[in-house]
Amino acid sequence: MASSDLQAVKRRIRSVTSMEHITNAMKLVSAAKLRRAKTSFEKSNQYLHFITDSIAEIFNNTGEVPEKYLEGGREIHNTCYIVITSSRGLCGSFNSNIIKIAEEEMAKDENPLLFTIGTRGRDHFAKRGYTICQDVATPPENFTFLDSQELSSPIIEMYDKGEIDKVVLVYTSYLSQLEQAATKVQLLPFSADLDPEVMKQNKEVEYEPSVGDVFNYLVPKYMETMLYGAIIESATCEHAARRMAMENATDNAREMLGDLSLYYNRARQAAITNELIEVVSGSEALS
Amino acid sequence: MARMAQNLVSVEVITPEKLFYKGDVELVICRTLTGDEGFMAGHQWATKLLDIGELRIKEEDKDQYLRAAVAGGFIDVKDSIVIYTDAAEWAQDIDANRAQIAKERAEKWLADNPEEDEAEQLKREAALRRAVTRLTIYEAGTKKINTL
Repeated sequence: MASSDLQAVKRRIRSVTSMEHITNAMKLVSAAKLRRAKTSFEKSNQYLHFITDSIAEIFNNTGEVPEKYLEGGREIHNTCYIVITSSRGLCGSFNSNIIKIAEEEMAKDENPLLFTIGTRGRDHFAKRGYTICQDVATPPENFTFLDSQELSSPIIEMYDKGEIDKVVLVYTSYLSQLEQAATKVQLLPFSADLDPEVMKQNKEVEYEPSVGDVFNYLVPKYMETMLYGAIIESATCEHAARRMAMENATDNAREMLGDLSLYYNRARQAAITNELIEVVSGSEALS
Repeated sequence: MARMAQNLVSVEVITPEKLFYKGDVELVICRTLTGDEGFMAGHQWATKLLDIGELRIKEEDKDQYLRAAVAGGFIDVKDSIVIYTDAAEWAQDIDANRAQIAKERAEKWLADNPEEDEAEQLKREAALRRAVTRLTIYEAGTKKINTL
């Protein structure tokens, strides 16, 4: 065994070791960020249903809700997609899953309009010639409710003007530490698929200033809250996905290190044996 | 002075980030679009939109209101009360300097750009009203004005 081969293996061991250090550190960072993101996600998620409940109640208790936000209120020509990806890579299939679902959805439309959150999605779709109305590069973990309000107000405006007739949100939903799923939700028009039996109240409810005003306030609010919720949920998923990816990378690096050092030790031992044989046979030849 | 046992109503104040307040209270006063309105136990069921303004909560057997600035939202009155708002801040937590700066910034912008587009104008005016509300509530809180 040539000594140059030994040296090459040694160099590889060194590089794999430093890579293992990096992925391990990233795993720890992601785990810490995941914990933080998860608490804020869980907190906000807990209260999201209040808004949807209120909308459902109004819807089921009065007949006079304005039609513009409701399913079937108008024909659907242009659809707007809000796609939430990450701004950083090294998170496994997190972004590609989202992009796959988004592309599947958008294939149904002739001219889909895009709002992207996170640079990964923006780059992907810009390269493929999609119309991107607006992109937000703020990393999802720094998103505040105000940001999501600013993002959703132009969308609602476009919807009110009739430039878009449907809003679909594509994001990653958090199932567990190990499992996240790319999902899509239709935000507008508000789907009226609610069970009237369950929600029906017998008491008279007073609306102020009027049922229509309250409803028109609640639906955009619902969209803002959903968007905000989806963004922090996606951020949580991103960290979870990155943690998993980095854990796998660390495991693979360790496995590789094991194989490499076994190979290295064998090669070294073979070289020693070889030299011994040479010495012994040399002395035998002399005697 | 021994008080009568009051009827209490459970109140939750929710912001997108967190549960701001939860408790059983005697009275909640908030600024609806048509003016300040108080809610007690047994109020008729209602859903009302809230303006930017002060939220006052009177807990059982307390002499003072808990005061907070809220940035609009809605109140849902049923057997219990749920207040949903975009942002809420207790009087004692208000950063008066920041509110002052925000107020001046909004005033300056409105003075400098009198003919900007309407949406931006409305946004700045809302910012100004939020800042003014926060300042007023902060001042009321520090002077310990007792409105009971």
